[in-house]
Amino acid sequence: MEQFIYYLKVSLKSIKRAPLPYALTILILSVGLGVFFANATFYYRLNSDPLPDKSDKLFFPMTLITPYECNNCLPPRVLSYSNVQKLSNSGIPSAQAAMYSSAGYARLTLENLPTPVSLRVTQRDFFEMFEVPILHGTVWSDGSAENQVLVTKATALSLFGRTDVVGESILLDDITFSVIGVLNDWQMLPRLYDANGRNHLSEGADIYLPLETGYDLNYLSNTNSVSYDDTDYRQLATEGRAGALHQLQFWVQLDTPADQQRYQQFMLRLAEDEKSAGRHPAPINNQLVPITEIVDYFGDASGDIEAFALVTLLFLVVCLLNAIHLALNRYLSNQYEFSLRRALGASRSQLQLQMLADVLLMTIFSLAGALLIAYAGVVLMNALLPQNSLFSSWDIALIIALVMAALICSYIVTLYPSLRASFGSLNQQLKE
Amino acid sequence: MITLTNLSKIFRTELIETHALRNVNLQVNEGEFVALTGPSGSGKSTLLNILGTLEGFDEGDYLLDGKSVNGLPDSELSKLRNQKIGFIFQSFNLIKDFSIYDNIELPLRYRGLKAKERKDRIESALELVGLQARRNYLPSQLSGGQQQRVAIARAIAGQPRILLADEPTGNLDSLMARQVMELLEQINKQGCTILMVTHDPDQARRASRNIQIVDGQLHDSTLYEPLASQSA
Ligand SMILES: Nc1ncnc2c1ncn2[C@@H]1O[C@H](COP(=O)(O)OP(=O)(O)O)[C@@H](O)[C@H]1O
Ligand SMILES: [Mg+2]
Repeated sequence: MEQFIYYLKVSLKSIKRAPLPYALTILILSVGLGVFFANATFYYRLNSDPLPDKSDKLFFPMTLITPYECNNCLPPRVLSYSNVQKLSNSGIPSAQAAMYSSAGYARLTLENLPTPVSLRVTQRDFFEMFEVPILHGTVWSDGSAENQVLVTKATALSLFGRTDVVGESILLDDITFSVIGVLNDWQMLPRLYDANGRNHLSEGADIYLPLETGYDLNYLSNTNSVSYDDTDYRQLATEGRAGALHQLQFWVQLDTPADQQRYQQFMLRLAEDEKSAGRHPAPINNQLVPITEIVDYFGDASGDIEAFALVTLLFLVVCLLNAIHLALNRYLSNQYEFSLRRALGASRSQLQLQMLADVLLMTIFSLAGALLIAYAGVVLMNALLPQNSLFSSWDIALIIALVMAALICSYIVTLYPSLRASFGSLNQQLKE
Repeated sequence: MITLTNLSKIFRTELIETHALRNVNLQVNEGEFVALTGPSGSGKSTLLNILGTLEGFDEGDYLLDGKSVNGLPDSELSKLRNQKIGFIFQSFNLIKDFSIYDNIELPLRYRGLKAKERKDRIESALELVGLQARRNYLPSQLSGGQQQRVAIARAIAGQPRILLADEPTGNLDSLMARQVMELLEQINKQGCTILMVTHDPDQARRASRNIQIVDGQLHDSTLYEPLASQSA
């Protein structure tokens, strides 16, 4: 240990000898690693499992029960109200909820200025299914069509200045709602329940209201809504429930593989029944996608991200090559000292330990630089792509992976040059 | 303690082959002070480097204490250099931003000695070369002669049995050169075998044995009488 500290001191001395090339090496490495880290954060977040305990139980059913004739087509990504009702009658899932996102303006009284809020219109099982923590109050009862909302802690704080606001009223687009619950801090990342949206890394909604209320008050979906007949999507309150207006994301919780089998059977029978009733002109195509595969299934968003990941990886390689080149010059100009150390009895393995000290210092410096640049990069990405607003928190697994990346890169940058220097001919340098 | 038999060394580049040493036979006994002389390019440094295992050879054999160094792994060779052999170079080869103390410590570090043991050895080496007061100086703050004495202290701090010196006074004026020579003689008296390359006939004469190299070949070594009896 004492000897390794000595090696560290020797490394620092040789850095001081030529600080500028060293700083340049660190800078290049930091930029390469920083860009890579920022992208890795993004990628990691998008591919992490937000509900590790139950992600094998949550499924997203889709069916082609539409008045639409086509061959080889996939079922629509969203369901109509009537299809949700038909699917909801299976009795198989332990929880199920349909949902869509919308937007509105909230204020406490007509004298206040309204603030824009994002809304999730959904059913009561949503909160249990996605493990939403409730700080105060409760969820509405099943099938509620009342003017009730749950608000996030942040929304409660910004509207009321406090969190315990159960029983208070708010004006949502100037209609009175009563607050029946307040959510605790909740960050589901990625936000996979918004299955077909391309914003799995953005903030969740501010306010949650019952599905029936959303339809009754004509809150329009701000993501995907497709009409397969002449239903006017703007007339949600009057036409939305009956027609073939598809706009609902629907999730079911199926606790066992047997339940999953039964549910698929149920969907098949439903489609067959619909077909014989003449309401399913296209060939039957049902899908039951596990939540863990939902990003892949709706894949187009992550395609860009994969391409971007490849670019940042190539950029890192270019930075590495440049850093190696600089390091090689540095080591070769120090080669005389390597030879001297060998002449005084340092073995190759002792020189390799010296090299490890170099690696350690380079890891520390380039990691610090890379984290700074990555942090700036994440902030920049959030600003450029607000719909993908990343949360810049790095968890332990990611930090460890990043440290390993910096270590490996520093090792690569040091390995070849120092091997070159320590295997050089011994007598030449010592003569002059 | 050193035996070379039919040793040859060839430097090959794309264009030419240089026969730096041809069929060298040499026997050096414990405690000898050998002076190597010869024209520039005759192979003196090459011989010293081979003796110090800094360089390999092409033919023949090199026995150190009866054991062939041929084919020894790097770990064994570096142990030899570290414990049995001390080097002194014409250009001192001190590390510029290491203090005198840290320079002398270098070989002891690679030997894995405890801090106390290292300190004792450095102190006595500093005392021998008379530079205790300068231990925290940088090499550039010393005169050439003092720097070479630091290099000698570094070479003997590990208490080697062989000291290899390649023109140790080549960069020094005559006064400083004399001090360095006296130091080497003192070290030799304490039992350390010394092989020294020199251009100075006076210095060569002070050695116990004189070997001339011409064109990579050793010329019959002559055992000189000690200076005192020669002048008598
Ligand atoms: N690394 C080397 N590569 C090629 N030739 C060398 C090398 N080292 C020495 N030589 C050649 O070997 C011969 C002996 O060199 P050297 O031992 O340095 O001579 P001296 O020290 O007696 O002046 C010279 O001709 C020199 O040019
Ligand atoms: Mg020479």
